Amino acid sequence: MDSTTPATAGGFEPRITAFVCNWCTYTGADLAGTSRLQMASNVRIIRLPCTGRIDPMFITKAFERGADGIIVSGCHPADCHYNAGNYHARRRFAIFRELMDFLGVDPSRITFSWVSASEGAKWRDVVNDAVTRVRALGPFTAYRNMVVVQATAPKSSSPEHAGEGEGLPMQSLAADGVAPGASKEVTA
Amino acid sequence: MARIGVFVCHCGENIGRTVDCHAVAEGCKDVPGVVHSVDYKYMCSDPGQQMVKKAIEEKGLTGVVVAACSPHMHEKTFRRAAAGAGLNAFLCEMANVREHCSWIHEDREKATVKAIDITRTIIEKVKHNVPLSTIRIPVTRRALVIGGGIAGIQAALDIADGGREVILVEKGPSIGGHMSQLSETFPTLDCSQCILTPRMVEVYQHPRIKLYAYSEVESVEGYIGNFKVTVRRKARSVDEEKCNGCGACTQVCPNKKIPSEFDCGLGKRTAIYVPFPQAVPNLPTVDRNKCLLFMNRAKGRPDTCKKCAEACEKGAIDFDQQDRLITEDVGAIVVATGYQLYTIGKDQPKDNLKGYGEYGYGTIPDVIDGLQFERLASASGPTSGKILRPSDGKVPKRIVFLQCIGSRDPQKGMEYCSKICCMYVAKHTMLYHHKVHDGVATVFYMDIRAAGKGYEEFSRRAIEEEGAQYIRGRVSRMWREGDVIKILGFDTLEGEPIEMDADMVVLATAMRPQPGIDVLAQKLSVSYDQHGFINEAHPKLRPVETNTAGIYVAGACQAPRDIPDAVAMASATASKVLGLFANEMLEREPTVARVDEGTCAGCFHCERVCAYGAVEHKDIKDRAGNVVRVIAYVNPGVCQGCGTCEATCPSKSVELQGFTDEQIWSEIQALGV
Amino acid sequence: MTELRELARRLLSEGTVNAVLGWEEGPRGARPAFVTTPDGADRLIFDHRCVHNLASYLSPRRPHLKRLGKVAMVLKPCDARAVAGLIRETQVPRENVVLIGVRCGGVVTDPDSDATLSEATVADRCRGCPDREGKLADHTVGTAGPGFPGPSHRAQKIEELAAKPADQRWAFWQAELEKCVRCHACRQVCPMCFCDRCLADKTQPRWIESSPHARGNMAWHVARAMHLAGRCVDCGECERVCPQGIPLGLITRKIASVVAERYDFRPSDDPAVPAPVGTYRMDDPQEFIL
Repeated sequence: MDSTTPATAGGFEPRITAFVCNWCTYTGADLAGTSRLQMASNVRIIRLPCTGRIDPMFITKAFERGADGIIVSGCHPADCHYNAGNYHARRRFAIFRELMDFLGVDPSRITFSWVSASEGAKWRDVVNDAVTRVRALGPFTAYRNMVVVQATAPKSSSPEHAGEGEGLPMQSLAADGVAPGASKEVTA
Repeated sequence: MARIGVFVCHCGENIGRTVDCHAVAEGCKDVPGVVHSVDYKYMCSDPGQQMVKKAIEEKGLTGVVVAACSPHMHEKTFRRAAAGAGLNAFLCEMANVREHCSWIHEDREKATVKAIDITRTIIEKVKHNVPLSTIRIPVTRRALVIGGGIAGIQAALDIADGGREVILVEKGPSIGGHMSQLSETFPTLDCSQCILTPRMVEVYQHPRIKLYAYSEVESVEGYIGNFKVTVRRKARSVDEEKCNGCGACTQVCPNKKIPSEFDCGLGKRTAIYVPFPQAVPNLPTVDRNKCLLFMNRAKGRPDTCKKCAEACEKGAIDFDQQDRLITEDVGAIVVATGYQLYTIGKDQPKDNLKGYGEYGYGTIPDVIDGLQFERLASASGPTSGKILRPSDGKVPKRIVFLQCIGSRDPQKGMEYCSKICCMYVAKHTMLYHHKVHDGVATVFYMDIRAAGKGYEEFSRRAIEEEGAQYIRGRVSRMWREGDVIKILGFDTLEGEPIEMDADMVVLATAMRPQPGIDVLAQKLSVSYDQHGFINEAHPKLRPVETNTAGIYVAGACQAPRDIPDAVAMASATASKVLGLFANEMLEREPTVARVDEGTCAGCFHCERVCAYGAVEHKDIKDRAGNVVRVIAYVNPGVCQGCGTCEATCPSKSVELQGFTDEQIWSEIQALGV
Repeated sequence: MTELRELARRLLSEGTVNAVLGWEEGPRGARPAFVTTPDGADRLIFDHRCVHNLASYLSPRRPHLKRLGKVAMVLKPCDARAVAGLIRETQVPRENVVLIGVRCGGVVTDPDSDATLSEATVADRCRGCPDREGKLADHTVGTAGPGFPGPSHRAQKIEELAAKPADQRWAFWQAELEKCVRCHACRQVCPMCFCDRCLADKTQPRWIESSPHARGNMAWHVARAMHLAGRCVDCGECERVCPQGIPLGLITRKIASVVAERYDFRPSDDPAVPAPVGTYRMDDPQEFIL
């Protein structure tokens, strides 16, 4: 078990980062609060004005930083506070999702949803479902520890990434469950 | 180096019950940059706010994080408190540990861990917050009102009476709109023209209203407070300065058999005409499609008839007049273009509309629509107020009204309710009863919707005191036998088919937005629904604003409206406009996008995704004045702060203030393991 | 070839353009050439070894070419899509460039080692390519071979990968991505990568870790794929120039097929056709959204 994931007596607890728009989902999550709807505590929300503001880089960075799952949520079609931000986000993330799937990231780690300001209960369900799903998938150490693969490969570049100030723990391949093909010889 | 203060609120028991607030304050103390971290029972209370202010002053804080409720609840409160202590308001942020934590979790340990995470995330964000100041843009304190019906008239008068100049643009030759065609109005039965025409004259004479009748909006540029509007003043072929409105020209015009638009085709007019006697402005207009001279010119023949010009003592007729384009600077725009009636027959303007060929409208002359009945009932109408059949001029003894023609009918018309028909049909039965005492008025209805002050009483009066026969049901077919209209319908209360003879039938047709509303909406960059009605910014809270700042909407171009609604909306837009004009400068939230001129490559992806047209092209010139690069510029007056441009920008050369990449990146980093 | 040279000579001698951008014979097969004199036009060639997408020279960030003023460019149908992209994204004013289209029946994969064009040597992007000439061109010269039938090998490889479990795809890409040395040749050669300051070089914040390790490489190639979504013209240059032999064409091709399937979009050589990312339809499919 990855020592860096928050461990509880029950076992692995996923870390999920949620990128939500200010007007619908954030407010819907507020409503879940005012309605005292109990839900899993694994989700950390980052508030943005609009789903249109959400860059795919946010998601890769969150995975790099140890997120096991991601939620992207905003206003339903036609409800966008800014008219069309969600439509642009929808195309962007449709493509991003297929890309991540193609690169071998299980798309069920990334949840996309429309949650309106009145859908507190839907937000609870989105959160609980995402937590359940990602818990079943296990920790996403494969992503955040990718650099380790490089460090142990024959043509090893230094695991120096001090520019990020991250100081990642060095871990063995086996422990991280990285696929064996990952350590093959560099041909060039 | 950042000096951040963290203030954790217990919210009484609301947060404290499930989150160990003291542990949160302690847990934030070791975050680099945090110099002050405390918890308190009620942070939003006066003593709580004083704590924040005192810490800002005493510890020289460069940023404040209040871990409490949702920013939607108290962000303004704490930003005001921070500003009160001399810290820029935008250096204060809230960490939501109530709605997003204490209220939704029961496990105190987990909730406390989460609350610390939430607070630390916002601490990292605040480290990258920069002072922002409110954007101030100048406001041109003049308004444009588009549409000269009752809504446009009311808006123009209210704004002008409030002390601001108004440009009123009306497409037709006269202002007055549909209200000027009505006979009496529900539920009071007061004469429509008697209450309207004084307002029309008031518009004409108002020192602060500039009326452009027979004109259309050609183009609109700019943004709230700073619109540049080009108006096309269509050629009337009459010199406004010279004409004194004597009407001699209309007397001599030989082409006298043109169906009058004002009388809905029931009366006739000449080719040079004033639409109705009380028209404002009282100027004739040459209908170039019907004038013999212009018809000859179109065929390349010499000018023949110049009778009107010969009759004009002032020499005001100008057959060579051209359209003129006039540019006006305005700060706000009110759209009040009103409605048209649903086309009843088979020929429909849109594919999804089917029409009602089975009612014989257009082939049976005595089947008319509601506005035509208004003209028949109007004292100024083609029959001088007598209810006479168009076919033979006889008084109809049996009149039948059909409601919901095109309304509430998704199969053939519109799914919406046109709102005014129940009331005006009730009114029509009364007007008929008053004029044809021995006549029988029958109404086919689906439901009677009489919500409004005095409306229910009015429709009850039509039924109980004025003898109208109401039948709940629809008519399936109508045809003519001799001079009688045969009606086949179904009474849904009795559950029986009905056959009936009528002398005249009036169809209460649906209200639709004016043709061309889509083109106008596109010029204005305002959105409209699938029917073409202009969308309001919020159906409850911003009913007269559009989603484009500085553009407002009044009357039946937004949805079916009766006169009191349209007038109320118009006055509401006027109050919005006057509010906007209250200050010389307009203040806007500074959370707008800003372009890095050094790195922008000018690909304009941002322009493509901007829903507000806020992205402009900016030339970067060398010393010699040659354009060396063209880059994006975000107009802060137009930007609404969604940030879609920033997510789209490949080189990240545009940044949304308050939600910059640096801020979001820091939040993501803070959540890392 | 004579037709091409005559046209180039005329454009140069008449002063219509100051340079013609095309291909010439080089020590390692065909190579890009800048011809600035009428006599130099005889150096120009076009055949199946002219694989390079010269549109990347049109980027306004190439100052030496910019100094030449108005130029003519020889372009294959696939290059025309790149020029259209540059015009669409306001990088190149259409009136600043004369486009000489060459009819094309396919090019080889490697201009050096593949001397002849055959089923074995043809570039993958030419398999199933329906375009024999670019509509954008001002002049069109030459004759085209019959072209090559599809399907592309990449499409088959993509299908194979897609059929595998996610962890095997992950392993495949980890092995490929760890090879990346972040030389950014893929970026430099790409006609559609024309930013002044690339996101990968931005330090505040640094979205893409700069060291050449698999995690930073992942972020870089994800960013590149997203930026090229709906904009990639499938000229294959990124994969051709990659010194590490990373099959970048699989990623761009995959995204192109996603864009084609979801939004019915195929890269066009008409600058007026909007790219699919940056536009939307109200009824775009959203089966992945809860």
